[in-house]
Amino acid sequence: MRAAKVLERVLITIPIMLGVAVMVFIFMRLTPGDPVDIMMGEMVGISDAEMEAMRREFNLDKPIHVQLWLFLTDVLRGDLGTSFVKRVPVAELILAHLPATIELAVGALFFGLAISIPIGILSAVKQYSILDRASMAGAFLGVSMPSFWLGLILILFFSVKLGVLPVQGRIDHDVGLQEVTGFYVLDSILTGNRAALVSALRHLVLPSVTLGATLAAIVARVLRSSLVEILRADYITLARAKGQVEFLVIMKHGVRNALIPTVTVVGLQVGALLGGNMVVETVFGWPGLGRLVVSAIFNRDFPLVQGAVMTYAFTYVIANLLVDVLYTYLNPKITL
Amino acid sequence: MIAHIWYPLSIRIRLLGRGLAEFLRELRGHPSALIGGFIVLLYLAAALFAPYLAPHDPEVGDPRASLTPPAWSAGGNPAYPLGTDFQGRDILSRIIFGSRVSLGVGVVTVAISAFVGTALGCVAGYYRGWIDGVLSRLADLLLAWPFLIFAIGVMAFLGPGLSNLIAALTFKSWVEFFRLSRGEMLAEKTKEYVDAARVVGQPDLIIIVSEILPNIVHSILVLATLRMGYMIIMEASLSFLGLGVPPHIPAWGSMVNQGRDFLFVAPWISTLPGLAILVLVLSINLFGEGLRDILDPRLKIE
Amino acid sequence: MSQPLLELRNLTTVFPTRRGLVRAVDGLDLTVREGEKLGIVGESGSGKSVTLLSILRLVPPPGRIVAGDVLFRGESLLAKSSSEMRRVRGRKIAMIFQDPMTTLNPVFRVGEQIRESLRIHGLVDGRGRARRRAEIERVIQVLNDVGIPYPEESLRRYPHEFSGGMQQRAIIAIALSCEPQLLLADEPTTALDVTIQAQILDLLERINRERGMGIILVTHNLGVVAEFCDTIAIMYAGQIMEKGATEEVTTEPLHPYTRGLLRCLPRIYGKREKIRPIPGLVPDLATLPPGCPFAPRCDVVRPECREDRRIPLKEVEPGRWVRCLLY
Repeated sequence: MRAAKVLERVLITIPIMLGVAVMVFIFMRLTPGDPVDIMMGEMVGISDAEMEAMRREFNLDKPIHVQLWLFLTDVLRGDLGTSFVKRVPVAELILAHLPATIELAVGALFFGLAISIPIGILSAVKQYSILDRASMAGAFLGVSMPSFWLGLILILFFSVKLGVLPVQGRIDHDVGLQEVTGFYVLDSILTGNRAALVSALRHLVLPSVTLGATLAAIVARVLRSSLVEILRADYITLARAKGQVEFLVIMKHGVRNALIPTVTVVGLQVGALLGGNMVVETVFGWPGLGRLVVSAIFNRDFPLVQGAVMTYAFTYVIANLLVDVLYTYLNPKITL
Repeated sequence: MIAHIWYPLSIRIRLLGRGLAEFLRELRGHPSALIGGFIVLLYLAAALFAPYLAPHDPEVGDPRASLTPPAWSAGGNPAYPLGTDFQGRDILSRIIFGSRVSLGVGVVTVAISAFVGTALGCVAGYYRGWIDGVLSRLADLLLAWPFLIFAIGVMAFLGPGLSNLIAALTFKSWVEFFRLSRGEMLAEKTKEYVDAARVVGQPDLIIIVSEILPNIVHSILVLATLRMGYMIIMEASLSFLGLGVPPHIPAWGSMVNQGRDFLFVAPWISTLPGLAILVLVLSINLFGEGLRDILDPRLKIE
Repeated sequence: MSQPLLELRNLTTVFPTRRGLVRAVDGLDLTVREGEKLGIVGESGSGKSVTLLSILRLVPPPGRIVAGDVLFRGESLLAKSSSEMRRVRGRKIAMIFQDPMTTLNPVFRVGEQIRESLRIHGLVDGRGRARRRAEIERVIQVLNDVGIPYPEESLRRYPHEFSGGMQQRAIIAIALSCEPQLLLADEPTTALDVTIQAQILDLLERINRERGMGIILVTHNLGVVAEFCDTIAIMYAGQIMEKGATEEVTTEPLHPYTRGLLRCLPRIYGKREKIRPIPGLVPDLATLPPGCPFAPRCDVVRPECREDRRIPLKEVEPGRWVRCLLY
C-alpha cells in the first residue's frame, strides 16, 4: 500500500517535469525581440549567414510547435544544447559545476539541521526559558536577514577581523588535490589528502553557514512550535504514566511526531536553499552552478541559462519527491 | 438591483470600520508588532519624502569625497553621516532613495499578487470544475520552481528593469494567495450562511465578494504582510546579483553588491544598506506576526 | 480490615494562574481498598482529573502538589525519588484516559505501544529475539484479554486504523500489560457511543472481578458510577462533598449538590419526574466565595454557609461522610 503510494507520487513528477520544461521553453520566448539578435548584439562583424546558422541551431526558423517538440525531445535525451559563449555542450558544463553546488547545499543542510534540531527541541522543552527566548529571537532575525548580507558580515568578522577562515573559493590551490568525484571533501578523503581535507572544510564553513542560516531559523521555529503542541498531547501523558523516562518521552514520543511537520518545512526550504545558492556562490566566489548561471546571464548565453535553470527546477522537484517519500515513512496516516 | 448589491456591502464596510477600531485596540497588547509597524511607517515616510530628506543627490557623487567613512569613525565627515561610496555618493541619501525601490517593489508585487491570486482562488474554489483544474495545475507547476530561480529565469530573458522585476516576482507569488483563498473558499462554501445567501437569490459575484470574502480577508491580509518581507528580500537578492533594477537607480541590493569590491577598505558601503534591509524586513515580520496573532491565529507561515 | 491500597490524605494541588492561585484539588481525603471500585463524580473543572494525575505525580506544570500525601500500600508516593516513582507508574498504578483518539501515539503500531510498557518495566525475561517473541506473545495475550479480535494482526495496526472503542481497549491493554494493582480511569467512556460505553464498563468490571484490581473511575456521569462502583465520592470545586457506599449515596443523598446531581438524571423506569437542572454555573476556582463553595447554587443555603471558614467533612454514619452544615 505504501509502495503504491510512493509509486503514484513518483509518477506525478513526470507531468510536472514536462511542465517545467515547457515553461523554460516559454521563458526563452519572453525575450523581447529575437534571442539570436540579442546574443549576437555585442559581437562585431558577424555575417548574416552566421546569424542564419545560429537561428537554425536554435530551430528558430521552424514553426513554434515544432520548436517545442524538438526542444522537449532534446531535453529527454539529455541534450540541453550548446553553450553559446563557451561552445561546449550545456549538459557537460552543468555536470562539471554540479558537484560544487551539491557540496555546498549538503554543507548548508548539515549545518542548518545540526543547529536547528537541538535548539528547537530544547526551546520546546524549556519553553519561555532564557534559552528559548534568545534562540527564538535569533531565529526571527534569521528569517528576516538577506543571505548575501549575512555572508558579507561573516567574511568581515571571521576572515578580515579574526583571519581564521578563507574568503573565497573551494580550496587552497597549493594542497594539490586530485579530483575524483568533484566533491572536494569526499575526494580529499578518498585520496587520503589531509591538507586538502582541512582546506576544503575550512572553505566550506562560511558559505554553508550563510546558506543554512535561514533553513536553521525556520526549522528551529517549526520544530519548537510543533513540539510544544505535541508535548501537551494525551499520548505524552500516557507515555509518562507508563513509567517511561522523560528523555525518551520527549525524544521517542514527542520529537518523532514533531518531525512530521518539520520534514514538510525542510522540503519547502530546499527551494530556498537552491535559490539562495546562487547568491551565496556569488558572495563567496564558489565555482558552482549558481555562478555559472549568473555569468551566463551577463554573457547572454541563453542555452546555458535555460539548461541551468531547468536543472535547478528538476532538482527541486526531485528533492520534493524524496521529502514526500520520507514523509510517508514518518506519518502512517498519510495520503500522498 | 443597486440596493440589492449595495446593502450587504454597506454593512460590510461599516463592520470593517468597527473591526479596524477593535484591531487597533488589540494591537496595543502586542508591543513588538507596534514597534514593527512604527518602524515600517518611518521607512514609508523616508520613501515618500526622499527628495526632502536626503542630504545629497543619490546618483551624483563628489569624487573628492570618495570612500569617506561614516561620521562616527576616524576620518568621517559630518556632511556624509553614513559615509560615501567609491564615486563619492552619499550612502545615507542612497539608502533613503533605495527605500523607494524596496517598498515600491514589495508593495506593488504583493498587491498585484494578492489581488490576482485571491480573485482566481475565489473563482476556482467557488465554481470548481475545469477552471479550478486548469488554475490548480498551473499553480502546481509554479510551485515546482524555487522562488528565486524562477525570478532569475524570467529576469534573464526579460532583461533588467523595475517593471520586469515586478512582473518576474508577481508571476510566481500570486500562487500563494491563490492556494490560500481557494482553500478557504472551499471551506467557507459549505457553510450555511452561503446557502442562505443563495436561497435568497443573490448573484454569485455578490455572494463571493460581500458574503464570503469578508470572512477570508483576514487570512489574506496576514499572508500579504508576511509575504511582503520575503518579496523585499527577493528584490534585494536579484538586485544584488545585478538582475534587478538598473545599476544607476539606488537599490539596497545593488548597493551591497557595488560595495563588495571595497569590503576590506570601506565595509560601510555594503553593510549599511544590508542593515537597512534587515531592519525593514524584521519590522514587517514583527508587524505581520502580531497581525496573525490578532486576526488569524490558525494561519502559520512556513 | 487490611491496609488500604491507596490513601489520599489532605491532598492539595494548586495551579498558579494570572488571576491567582487555583486550588484544583483542595484537601482531599480518600481511601481505596484492595479490589475496590471507587467512583469520583463531579462536573468538569471540579478537580477529578487533577486528582488522578496527582496520584501519579504527573500534574502538568506550573501545577504542583503543595500539601498532603499519597500513600500506596502505606508507602508515600510523594516521598519517592523520580526514578522510584517511574517504577510505580504503569507497573503498580496504571491510568487510562478520556479520549482514546488522542491517547495513543499516532506514529507507532498498537502492539509496539503495549510492548513499550513491558520493556520499560523489564517484565519479560530473556535476550534478543527470544525476548522479543515472548513480549509479542504477552502483547497478544493482553489484546485477547481486552477483547480485541485477531490480536496477531491487530498489534501491527496503527491507532488510526482502530475504531474509538477498539482504541480504548488498546489503551486498557497498555494499562493491563504490567498487571498493576490499581487502575486510574479518567472518564474512559465519555468519548464513546453508548453501546461501546457499556462494553468498556463490562470489560473494566471483569478485570476488577478476575484480577482483584482496584479501580478509581472518574466521571461526570452519575449513572455510570451508580452502576459500576462500590463507593462513590462527590467532588465539587476540588473538595469532597459527600462520600459513601454507592447504594446509600444514590438512594439517600445527603448533600444538596448530590441531590441536585441526581435530579439531573433522566429516569427511564419508575415515576416520571421533571429534570431539574442545578441553577448557576460551575464555579471559577480562582474566585471562590468564602465558606461553602456550593452556597451560591444551593437551594437550602443558610447565612452561616457563607461565613469565611472551611466546612468540615463529617462522618454522619460509619463510612458515610458529608461536607454540609445541615448535618
